[in-house]
Amino acid sequence: MDYAISDHGDAAPLAVKILIAGGFGVGKTTLVGAVSEVAPLRTEEYLTHASVGVDDLEGVNGKSTTTVALDFGRITISSELVLYLFGTPGQERFWFMWNDLVNGAMGAVVLVDTRRLDVSFASIDFFESRGIPFVVGVNCFHGVRDRTQEEIRRALDLDPQVPLVLCDARDRTAGRDVLLALIDHLMAAQSRTAPHPVA
Amino acid sequence: MKHWTEGFDDDDADETLVRPYTITGGRTAPERDDLTLITLVTAISTASSETGHGLRRMQPEHRTILALCKRPLAVAEVASALNLPVSVTKILIGDLIEADQVRARPPLAFAQAGGFPGMTILEAVRDGLRNL
Ligand SMILES: Nc1nc2c(ncn2[C@@H]2O[C@H](COP(=O)(O)OP(=O)(O)O)[C@@H](O)[C@H]2O)c(=O)[nH]1
Ligand SMILES: [Mg+2]
Repeated sequence: MDYAISDHGDAAPLAVKILIAGGFGVGKTTLVGAVSEVAPLRTEEYLTHASVGVDDLEGVNGKSTTTVALDFGRITISSELVLYLFGTPGQERFWFMWNDLVNGAMGAVVLVDTRRLDVSFASIDFFESRGIPFVVGVNCFHGVRDRTQEEIRRALDLDPQVPLVLCDARDRTAGRDVLLALIDHLMAAQSRTAPHPVA
Repeated sequence: MKHWTEGFDDDDADETLVRPYTITGGRTAPERDDLTLITLVTAISTASSETGHGLRRMQPEHRTILALCKRPLAVAEVASALNLPVSVTKILIGDLIEADQVRARPPLAFAQAGGFPGMTILEAVRDGLRNL
């Protein structure tokens, strides 16, 4: 049974999501802004609130309470389908939100900066361990291609079937092509295994 | 004496905490946990727009949400427009769901189900991106 995007008589479109992940400063917000139809939006969440399940004001008023910010963008595909892009930092302090972030995500783009590959290790580990499909986008800062793709793959210990795409996070077309690489990857994975497609 | 809006943009300013939870009447946790960042929220146009049927304390923020959601908006978009944290926004949207003022459409849970999005969605997204 194939899936109809429109829900029985529901006026709202279906929302899907692609995560733009990677360490600090690799170009996540830049990529979201380059492809989004609106300037990147920003939303905040209380760190202590969600992470420890605080349910009274006493805890929330504690001095240690901080917020974390998420950037996201939107691409309206049709009246029935909206794609959201969420920039998701790799730091462990954000992981309390990742259940919500992963919910409804088709897959992820992990951005890397070849000068600081290590800052994106945590993101790659996360998607690998959860079996969430992803592609790696090599953000070519200043057009620098100081490493071969093979070297980058080896340094990231990347599974051979994970696509690696060179990009410029500031460029709309390049950003779009990274997203398309993820869609191709998902299509290939689906026709290969056809496990239990959700809808 | 500092006004509560002072330092509103500071990451760790205590002042930022008081006002949001005043809006929710002191509640800090959503009663429902089914709202996600991309759950799409739409105002029910036939719902009474006056005092908010069944809503005990209609805050200005509730009215703002109803106005924003004349077209479907994700929870994250609502939070961003209100300049409120996601958890506070979820509480307010939950109120409006309870009061039959808005409808919420959850996303499909691809990753949790260990599945992949179906071809229909993938093709639609691919075609949409190509037209970008
Ligand atoms: N030259 C160059 N600068 C970039 C590129 N991508 C991002 N930047 C810059 O690098 C910095 C960090 O990017 P940002 O998108 O904020 O990274 P984030 O922390 O991953 O969201 C910003 O100052 C960007 O303007 C790129 O491809 N080339
Ligand atoms: Mg950023």
